[in-house]
Amino acid sequence: MNDGRMSLGRKLLLSRSSSVLIVLVVLVLGFAILSPEHRFVDPDNLKVLLSLGSEFSIIALGVGLLMVCGEFDLSVGSILVFCSFVFLRLFEAQVPLFFSALTTILVGAALGIINGLITVRAQIPSFVTTLGTMMMWRGLALLFSGGEQKGCDVSTVPSRYFLPFFTGRIGGVFPAQAFWFIVFAVFLGILLHYHRFGNWIYATGDNRDAARAMGINTDLVKTVCFMIVGVLCGFVACAQIARTACFTSRAGEGWELKAVAASVVGGTSLRGGVGSMVGIFIGALTISVIENGLVVMRIPYFWTYVVFGLVIIFSVLSSMYIEKKQREAHR
Amino acid sequence: MEWVRNFLRYRAANTFLVFIGLVMFFSLLTPNYLFVDRRNLAALGKLFPDLGVVALGVGVLMICGEFDLSVSSVLPFCSYVFVRLLYRGFAPFWAFWAALGVGALLGLLNGLITVKTKMPSFITTLGTMMFWRGVLYIWSKMMPAGIRNLVPSGSLFERTFAGTVGSFFPVQALWFALFAVILGILLHYHRFGNWIYATGDNRDAARAMGINTDLVKTACFMIVGVLCGFSACMQAVRIGSFAATQGIGFELRAIAACVVGGTSLRGGVGSMPGIVLGALTIPILDNGLILLRVPVFGISAFIGIATILFVVLNSYVERKTR
Amino acid sequence: MERQNGEPLVRMVNIHKWFGRVYALRGVDFEVYRGETVGLIGDNGAGKSTLIKILSGYHQADQGEIYFEGQKVRISSPRDARKLGIETVYQEQALAPNLSIARNIFMGREPVRRWGIIDRKVMNEESMKALANLGLRLRSPDLPVVTLSGGERQGVAIARALHFKAKLVILDEPTVALSVKEVEEVLEFVRQLQREGISVIFITHNLYHAYDIAERFVVMARGKKMADVKKKDTSPEELSQLVIKSAFAE
Repeated sequence: MNDGRMSLGRKLLLSRSSSVLIVLVVLVLGFAILSPEHRFVDPDNLKVLLSLGSEFSIIALGVGLLMVCGEFDLSVGSILVFCSFVFLRLFEAQVPLFFSALTTILVGAALGIINGLITVRAQIPSFVTTLGTMMMWRGLALLFSGGEQKGCDVSTVPSRYFLPFFTGRIGGVFPAQAFWFIVFAVFLGILLHYHRFGNWIYATGDNRDAARAMGINTDLVKTVCFMIVGVLCGFVACAQIARTACFTSRAGEGWELKAVAASVVGGTSLRGGVGSMVGIFIGALTISVIENGLVVMRIPYFWTYVVFGLVIIFSVLSSMYIEKKQREAHR
Repeated sequence: MEWVRNFLRYRAANTFLVFIGLVMFFSLLTPNYLFVDRRNLAALGKLFPDLGVVALGVGVLMICGEFDLSVSSVLPFCSYVFVRLLYRGFAPFWAFWAALGVGALLGLLNGLITVKTKMPSFITTLGTMMFWRGVLYIWSKMMPAGIRNLVPSGSLFERTFAGTVGSFFPVQALWFALFAVILGILLHYHRFGNWIYATGDNRDAARAMGINTDLVKTACFMIVGVLCGFSACMQAVRIGSFAATQGIGFELRAIAACVVGGTSLRGGVGSMPGIVLGALTIPILDNGLILLRVPVFGISAFIGIATILFVVLNSYVERKTR
Repeated sequence: MERQNGEPLVRMVNIHKWFGRVYALRGVDFEVYRGETVGLIGDNGAGKSTLIKILSGYHQADQGEIYFEGQKVRISSPRDARKLGIETVYQEQALAPNLSIARNIFMGREPVRRWGIIDRKVMNEESMKALANLGLRLRSPDLPVVTLSGGERQGVAIARALHFKAKLVILDEPTVALSVKEVEEVLEFVRQLQREGISVIFITHNLYHAYDIAERFVVMARGKKMADVKKKDTSPEELSQLVIKSAFAE
């Protein structure tokens, strides 16, 4: 990743992400020290943190990427539950697990593409499109499923690969979900920072007109980003069912705002064109750590809201402050 | 036919047509014409203002270019303040004003954070939404708190907020209409309304013309807060208790109502008639579909589709007439 | 630069354009010869921007033809325009503020290695070269454009056009909102383009800037071409009179 000389751009990137990293480290240390019997760093808890937290974090990666290209997706929770429902039906129809998973992911991609097409074709703000699709997909999923929780015990089907793929432990310890989180983060990071498509994402988010004038198909870029979000939702839907062995109609509730929070905490700008995969990665981890830490410390779940609220405001403020300082440094 | 063409130029015209269409559709097609049954309309009239009153404020705020996602937390917070004061022995009259005051304060806070830090309101209110929700949950421990004995049925206070006029017209609807008229006059006839539009349409131009855009935005946030407080009291009196689940989902539904009513997400565009119609349309859609025996879950899917179709239609019409 | 005899580099014939009910261009003929700098002037709403946006592929003419180097062409997108060698520097939309200089210069045309991975070394080196060609001295190609001054930003946009072997560079109001010093910087960049033999269309409100730089002036008003004069046949004062008269004429 280093090309010897530390370019100015790299320094800027690091300085924004580094403030987020500091926050994360402080939180981790805080929870480690303050939790009763240091339960936070207990291996079992860490496994839970990494497996559960990664489900949300994977989706947050996609939402962050989309924000860099200048759009929002408030429907991620609904896409997740709809895909879960699709998987459930396929499972009940005794379709081989591999194909069920594949189809689920494709359905997620399709829902993402729909979000993208509506947004770019009708030229309406994605905020609104995904508000609508959010209600739509969850509503449909609830409608067709009857709104309950349904058992979907995947372990009843003999499959050597499905469960370990999504819920296994590498070396008996490291949760597969966290592994996938890292894999996706690396892949999307390379896409965003090193690939030409990533430059198109930045350009589209930073100055859409300039990008179009330079021949970049911004509609395509946005639709692809929406699709990526959908794919990740489909993937996590499979992982979640693999872990919980059931379909629940409340899957992913509230995740859309958490995902935006994770991206914002990670230094992504709400206006688009600014953000880094490293930042989003750390931001997603931070949100997961906060949730898990509060549970471990037996703090009522309600406090998470208070903390999230403060974390969001604090990180946006510090992000803006850093931005200001950088700009002044170059005058 | 000239007046027809002029009429259609208003964005709210689309909403109006759809509104009329929906009303006719449901009137004719619900079994036994249940939709237009007096009792159903009365129930509608009682319930839609819960969201409607809040949507009025959210719409005005959107016109000035900002969003408030925290309404779903501010509303139950004010409700709890109201209920707790009643428990403490305060008269409903004072508890009511206190709730409004709290709403105003929370709105003020949203406004100040947004304008002083120049953070996008989407984010500020996301943060305050989470913060106040957490505080409320901790404080109330999520327990409902009945107030029937403190605000007995038939008492003046109860009748002011949850009674009926002429034995069937719900007073909530009257309050909605009152606020709609007041805010409508403010928005369309008062100079402050012009400042609201200017701030939303081109903030820099407005500032260059000497308009204090920070003040305008903060005032709009406070309006939302006060209306949340009002709706909270209305709900509490009608239900007879505080419930921590009051107001859930309001933030997005209020925005949806405004958007359906022709308010632009970019600011500077929107009208009170449009917002009123939007605030009516969504609950009507809800009600009508329920009467048509559409399964409950299907309804929110429907509203989602309808919102999208609506905005697409609006934007298409806009581009054609430009 | 002497005008070469024969075919113009670009010839637009009888261009009409409607935006909904607004008749933006009413049968405009316009040409630019090789190596020539043409000042396109006129008041607001005259149609100057629309005309060059058609040349840049941002809009399409409803009627009329375009000839480039003698061949009839269809410019249906900015990509088509650039393939022909037409580069445009817009006033506001030229650069992405938060992206680095290098990423801006190569926006949409990033040099890649295998599988689309950006070749950063090439991108940075070529960027510095492009800037140097224009005489623009900047510290590093990784600087975000937002940290540059107005004049430097225009310089980057012009360097981009120069680097990609443009045959025609269109500058849409390049000196608006710039300080006196920055304006001189930008005019010097344009002179560099002229030295390279590139044709330039320079759109501006400011007659004095245009007069300094251009050899020929085309005056537009309300969608029509009102005048076409060579610099040696006129003066800034006369030009200004022409513009004012055209604004009121029918």
